[in-house]
Amino acid sequence: MADIALDPFEALYARGVTDGLPVIPPTRERVAAALAATGRDAGELIALVPPNFGRATVERIAINAVMAGCLPTYLPVVIAGVAAMCDDAFDFHGVSATTNFPAPLFVLNGPVRKRLDVNCGAGVFGGGWRANATIGRALRLVAVNVGGAVPGTVSMSTLAHPGRYTYCIGEHEEENPWEPLHVEHGFAAGDSTVAAFAAEAPHGVYDHLSRTARDLLITIGKSLEVISHHKSTHHGDTLVVLSPEHARTIADDGWDKAAMREFLWTRLRKPVRDLLPGVDGGEGLPAHVLAKFADPEREDTLIPKFRARENLKFVVAGGTAGRFSAVIPCWTFPKSSHMVMRKIELP
Amino acid sequence: MTTDEFMDPTDTVAVPRQTAPRPETLDGKVITLLDISKAKGDHLLDRIEELLRERARPKAIVRKRKPTFARPAPDALRQEVLADSELVIEALAD
Repeated sequence: MADIALDPFEALYARGVTDGLPVIPPTRERVAAALAATGRDAGELIALVPPNFGRATVERIAINAVMAGCLPTYLPVVIAGVAAMCDDAFDFHGVSATTNFPAPLFVLNGPVRKRLDVNCGAGVFGGGWRANATIGRALRLVAVNVGGAVPGTVSMSTLAHPGRYTYCIGEHEEENPWEPLHVEHGFAAGDSTVAAFAAEAPHGVYDHLSRTARDLLITIGKSLEVISHHKSTHHGDTLVVLSPEHARTIADDGWDKAAMREFLWTRLRKPVRDLLPGVDGGEGLPAHVLAKFADPEREDTLIPKFRARENLKFVVAGGTAGRFSAVIPCWTFPKSSHMVMRKIELP
Repeated sequence: MTTDEFMDPTDTVAVPRQTAPRPETLDGKVITLLDISKAKGDHLLDRIEELLRERARPKAIVRKRKPTFARPAPDALRQEVLADSELVIEALAD
């Protein structure tokens, strides 16, 4: 058995400030190097981190980033990520405390991807890339150490998912036939940005045979249809990660993001009569919705799976070979957590 | 190398807080039953209210409701609960 007094990894684990994996000991020298790379004051307050509203100063973010294994050059991304996940629109309080699944997923866009060697290609959600692995991990450590989102005491997710260790990807902009996520949301192509989603784990969609946008989007729509459960409705922001091959199939048919949104949103509505609780499974529309209809069993009114077309977000990521995409359900309360983007201020 | 040389990644605010001292008795107390707006939370609180009235002699039982379970209670509601009651029971249900 390792001696806690002598072994820094054991000592830090015993203090309850890790994610269970060994961390890099945050010595003054390492933190100073990380701080120097930000060009900012150590005491500058970036955000109050829910649920305990701990103060995320530049220095405290740097300490957690060092522990996660970040290079000093990653700090601007981690700082922008903290600001994004602590924006009120993200509702990090709910995301951290809920019995539901979510972990913040960070999607990086712009020149920062190349500068920091962020994986956007093959195995994008997997391991092996320091920037992806440690930026996501640093943000998780901030949530626990500064925000107090300690699993099992404050953070009460029933199952959670492995993205709570780290969850960070780059968009494969070079393979994106449309405008990338940040340009779509008003940033310049030359800006670097981080987007935070309150995300479940990626759910794979296989389609090797479709050769038209319509056929392929029907397949993807069928996976979106069963998010949460097959009668769940009114979802908020949800991410569709298209592989380069799938994106090309859709774009070659002349479809843009607006056309994809319209097609999926429209198809993913169901009549009230198909959403009754206790028929084909116990789940279904809540009583206050059913109360609006005189005879729900015969009611044709269409109820949308997604509150608005804009809730369907698309990014292109992953390797250039493989007809696989993924849908990533986000936290199910549409009035609660929304995608939040921040520009990364590179020194 | 000792851990004293390591910088603290936490904020003091993030240190787990102690729960408030438990009351000796419920008799004569004003109790707030806080519904967090989860489905069927009212069922649970209705039953708790029934049991409280049956087994104790509280001065009053006040019912309040959060606008949504997905976010913290608004400040005004928290201040109201704090000012009006000595005990609060919060319901989580589904």
